Amino acid sequence: MSETTSDVILESIDLVKHFGSSGFFGPPTVVHAVDGVSLTIRRGETFAIVGESGCGKSTLGRLLLRLIEPTQGDVLYEGRSILSLDAAEMRRLRRDLQIIFQDPFASLNPRMNVGDIISEPLWLHGLGSKSDRREQTAELLRTVGLLPAHADRYPHEFSGGQRQRIGIARALAGNPKLIIGDEPVSALDVSIQAQIVNLLEDLKERYGLTLVVVAHDLAVIRHMSDRVAVMYLGEIVELSSTDDLFENPLHPYTQALLTAIPIPNPQGRRPKPLLQGDVPSPTAPPSGCRFHTRCPHARSICKENHPVAENAGGGRMVACHFWREIQNAGSGALSAPAQSPALTKRMELYMTWRERQEQTKNSNG
Amino acid sequence: MIDNVALHARSADTTGATHSGRDALLRVENLSIRFDGAPPDVNVVDDVTLSVAKGKTLCLVGESGCGKSVTALSLMGLLPTPPARIVGGSAYFGGKDLFRMSEREKADMRGNQTAMIFQEPMTSLNPVFTVGDQIVEGILRHRKVSKSEARERALEMLRRVRIPAPEKRMQAYPHEMSGGMRQRIMIAMALANGPELLIADEPTTALDVTIQAQIISLIRQLQDESGMAMILITHDLGVVAEIADEVAVMYAGKIVEAGSVDKIFMDPQHPYTIGLMGSVPSIGRRQGKLATIRGTVPPAELMPKGCRFMPRCPFADVRCVTDPPPLAEITPGHSARCWYAPLEIHRGGVA
Repeated sequence: MSETTSDVILESIDLVKHFGSSGFFGPPTVVHAVDGVSLTIRRGETFAIVGESGCGKSTLGRLLLRLIEPTQGDVLYEGRSILSLDAAEMRRLRRDLQIIFQDPFASLNPRMNVGDIISEPLWLHGLGSKSDRREQTAELLRTVGLLPAHADRYPHEFSGGQRQRIGIARALAGNPKLIIGDEPVSALDVSIQAQIVNLLEDLKERYGLTLVVVAHDLAVIRHMSDRVAVMYLGEIVELSSTDDLFENPLHPYTQALLTAIPIPNPQGRRPKPLLQGDVPSPTAPPSGCRFHTRCPHARSICKENHPVAENAGGGRMVACHFWREIQNAGSGALSAPAQSPALTKRMELYMTWRERQEQTKNSNG
Repeated sequence: MIDNVALHARSADTTGATHSGRDALLRVENLSIRFDGAPPDVNVVDDVTLSVAKGKTLCLVGESGCGKSVTALSLMGLLPTPPARIVGGSAYFGGKDLFRMSEREKADMRGNQTAMIFQEPMTSLNPVFTVGDQIVEGILRHRKVSKSEARERALEMLRRVRIPAPEKRMQAYPHEMSGGMRQRIMIAMALANGPELLIADEPTTALDVTIQAQIISLIRQLQDESGMAMILITHDLGVVAEIADEVAVMYAGKIVEAGSVDKIFMDPQHPYTIGLMGSVPSIGRRQGKLATIRGTVPPAELMPKGCRFMPRCPFADVRCVTDPPPLAEITPGHSARCWYAPLEIHRGGVA
């Protein structure tokens, strides 16, 4: 790729992570969680990593922050390897690189009050006096749509959406440059999910953040991200700008994923070619192309040769032997059926009144 | 392999006839359920009326805590009492009131005429028995057949839910299977006795999107083959649009809107339904920010006296604070619980 290093904030080079067991009761098994992932994340963008469970997307997210050590490969932050840093340097770097977890119930300490949870990073990094920190905590709570009075409460007193806001406030405390969201909205109800998606977008704009979103919900990814990497069994099979990916998916796995999305419009019911079978076990990934066992276009070469990532133009990358032929098969491209006029009209009405509601709320308090 | 489901991409337009309830297989009227300890007059399920006809699918849509699962459990006779109590209403299934049956009658019915599948197949399967044994157990409980006949039937069910190498899988334990396979086992178990009504509580929520598509297509095919009725509980509007004939949207224990799937998606009336649709990102090109619904569902002790959606509704006014709106018919077969529906008539002008 032709990016200058200055606009790349985070880069992974041939990252590999294998989890192994000693094989006490049998032969040792090795889980190939992430296998040879190279990608660059540009400053200020929202980069999405998408894939089904077990594809290694969460492991990749953790590797990018060095929350776990890779088996092989390197991660560069601002052009510098973070793997060579010692503990003190790494701790300093953690201010810049933050993470929001999927499960807001499990990722907040139930014995700490919200004020302490949010100000802990400030305290750890020795930022400000006690009263400064209290003030900053109050400001952070307001930023994420909570009240300063909430600082004295405990996590169990909050709903899932509010807990996710607390997690976001904590991530923001150290004034980070890049935040990784590991399925940040998938545990939340639809209406709450939309609130958090909007909040993340607002914060990104306000603080000039770079966001990396690890998710399986393709609609959320389409809405939020600038570029997408699609993972299958530990490898990136396609990497592209979001609009290109959704309008003209190149890899057969991407095509299958997009086809499988249920479209919230009953007029969109149509026969669908469905991907059969399950994802093979990452302890024994298939030979050649890892997708060949489920691929409708697979031929004998796919079983034998591992496809290399090819440049498909426009900054796109795809790892498939036959992507040129397949892309014209027309499968997978998503066309959302048009919204009905009645729905459009009422949605506009809703938005108008919703805005008014927001204004009266603000003027009242 | 490509599994063409053209046959099953049924036309979505149906009449609202099932809501008249005359040809309904199941008819629930004014169902109210209370949890002990909740404030007086705040029912977790409140005045719910719904019906589902043979061969049709009713989707109950709503967010966590809206009462959709409690409604389903009550119909199966699986409600933990106490703390939950049915305080009003009836549920007629083929002429019999489900709420007046003895425990014995309920047990005879469950897994036989009615069956249920749950969100998390791992917790619903017994980890120490093979899946074959678990399916056989259900058949032997309800059918006067020999063990070998029951095994034969179980094997046939595994074939029907398209499990590869079914003979081998009969001997497998739940932990040896993937989530999608386990959900297929649950479906095989639920359908083993040919139920007339299947209740599916978030059957695909825990599954990946490609597996979800497989399971939805499978459920549809099986429904077409058997003509059973189905109540599908979900929060995913995409799944609803794919599979429903009729839809009931629930909020804080009440049905706020009900109608055919076309009416609900093409002509949504209740502000909650509209807000919910705005909260789901489109898979088309991005069109600005998502519409959101303000705040969260109020806890039981703060439940408003009037319309339960009032604190979050952009259109609410004084009337909504004091008077609970009725579920009123807008067009035949399509009703909404809002004083101001249709909104463009009552709320169209600039205030």
